[in-house]
Amino acid sequence: MKTRPLFVILLLAISLVVARADQFRFPLVSGSARFAVIGDTGTGEAPQYELAREMVTARGIFPFDFVLMLGDNIYGASRPKDYEQKFELPYKPLLDAGVKFYASLGNHDNPNERMYKLFNMNGANYYTFKKGNARFFALDSDYMDAKQLAWLENELKSAGDQDWKICYFHHPLYSSGRMHGSAIELRSLLEPLFVKYGVNVVFAGHDHVYERVRPQKGIYYFTEGSSGQLRAGGLKHTELTEKGFDSDRAFMLVEIAGDQLHFETLSRGGQQVDSGTLPRLSVATK
Amino acid sequence: MPRSSPALASNSAFIMHVHKYISSFAIALLAVPLACTLPSRIAAQQAAQAKPNPDSSPAFKPFLDRVRAYSNVHKAAASGLPGGKPTDLPEVITARQLALARKIREARPDAKRGDIFSEDSAEAFRNVIASQFAGPEGQKARTTIRQGSPLPDLHLKVNETYPAGTPFTTVPPALLLKLPKLPDSLSYCIVGPDFVLLDVEANLVVDFIPDVIPKSLEAQ
Repeated sequence: MKTRPLFVILLLAISLVVARADQFRFPLVSGSARFAVIGDTGTGEAPQYELAREMVTARGIFPFDFVLMLGDNIYGASRPKDYEQKFELPYKPLLDAGVKFYASLGNHDNPNERMYKLFNMNGANYYTFKKGNARFFALDSDYMDAKQLAWLENELKSAGDQDWKICYFHHPLYSSGRMHGSAIELRSLLEPLFVKYGVNVVFAGHDHVYERVRPQKGIYYFTEGSSGQLRAGGLKHTELTEKGFDSDRAFMLVEIAGDQLHFETLSRGGQQVDSGTLPRLSVATK
Repeated sequence: MPRSSPALASNSAFIMHVHKYISSFAIALLAVPLACTLPSRIAAQQAAQAKPNPDSSPAFKPFLDRVRAYSNVHKAAASGLPGGKPTDLPEVITARQLALARKIREARPDAKRGDIFSEDSAEAFRNVIASQFAGPEGQKARTTIRQGSPLPDLHLKVNETYPAGTPFTTVPPALLLKLPKLPDSLSYCIVGPDFVLLDVEANLVVDFIPDVIPKSLEAQ
């Protein structure tokens, strides 16, 4: 009977899809902001490609429109073939499907990456854009000078209080990573602005682990620096840590719908390592 | 125990009254000039506490003049080069960077250390950097460098390309706030013990001040 093996394969495939669908608990609200978050990706090595494939699989169930890149997008040299091997090829299925990548720069990135159209930086080291009811601010934490701080304050102020405010950059303000840890000096400059102007969520990389930090002064902090690189066992699990994962690569999926942020963090193998729904904390609550 | 007479008591009360009056008068005499000078004292304190603007500091003026002159060289070198706008072709980005570096080198073939960080302003940079690493904020600045990929064994030369694949050491943000602002094509950079002025578009070392960053910062 030739149909029997085919039937078994079909059954397995269906059960896999059903299992995955059960894993994803996103509301998929019309007009919501749906995106993935990756950090410290650009190695060009097998784990980066494997994680990218998992992102493609995940998008079959959770159709995200864009990806935030938390820096170290291209490690090592930045020759044309590096752009290809460390970005274009691993994410080709996503790029072909029209998914947009919005990059921030890390300490391993050539600043001229800002001229690369597929990173959507429009020639700037720091920039802002809006999706759904969320306003995003990509910052250059390698070089936080007076000009950038003034720009950020002006943009945060003019963004008002209606939208979610999400900042992302390379160096984490709060981190339990063994290698780098919290960027305290940067925090002393940025946190007062974040609190004053009602930033809701901050994503960063640099430490090659995943960590969800306990809310600090009404702000949610995530470190996702393990989407290409990994420092196995690199997380200390301190009093900051709400949830951590440091045994494999990971990426995040996020949907912002109304006053709720739904997220799920998946490993390279597709295992869920963290998930939840976070309410938007109003400026008054803070 | 002798009791005081009413006359004595009356005298004492009078003396105390006079004493109190003289004391009040003396306080008033002291307070008037104090009150007159208070606003100017507060203003002086506020001025001392106010963040100095490095862009208008005379100490940095020679440096800023030279930066402006370099920017003109950069602009002249960049004019006519293809690229310069966002592109989806990495080869255009790379080619422009290399061509720009070549043209700038050609425009300043004899460039040497101290051309931009001239001696008159290098001293001001040294002072600001030293105080940033030594003062109460010093620990934070040292931590920032340790967390941001220090490069203890790297020494660069003027007109040399920043080595491909070498990470950038984070420049302590509190230090950046105390230094003159640069045009977008330039940035301050820390390379080992040296403080470097980098042309980020050409990926080229424009100038540097040697041995200004504490050597105790070891790589992790």
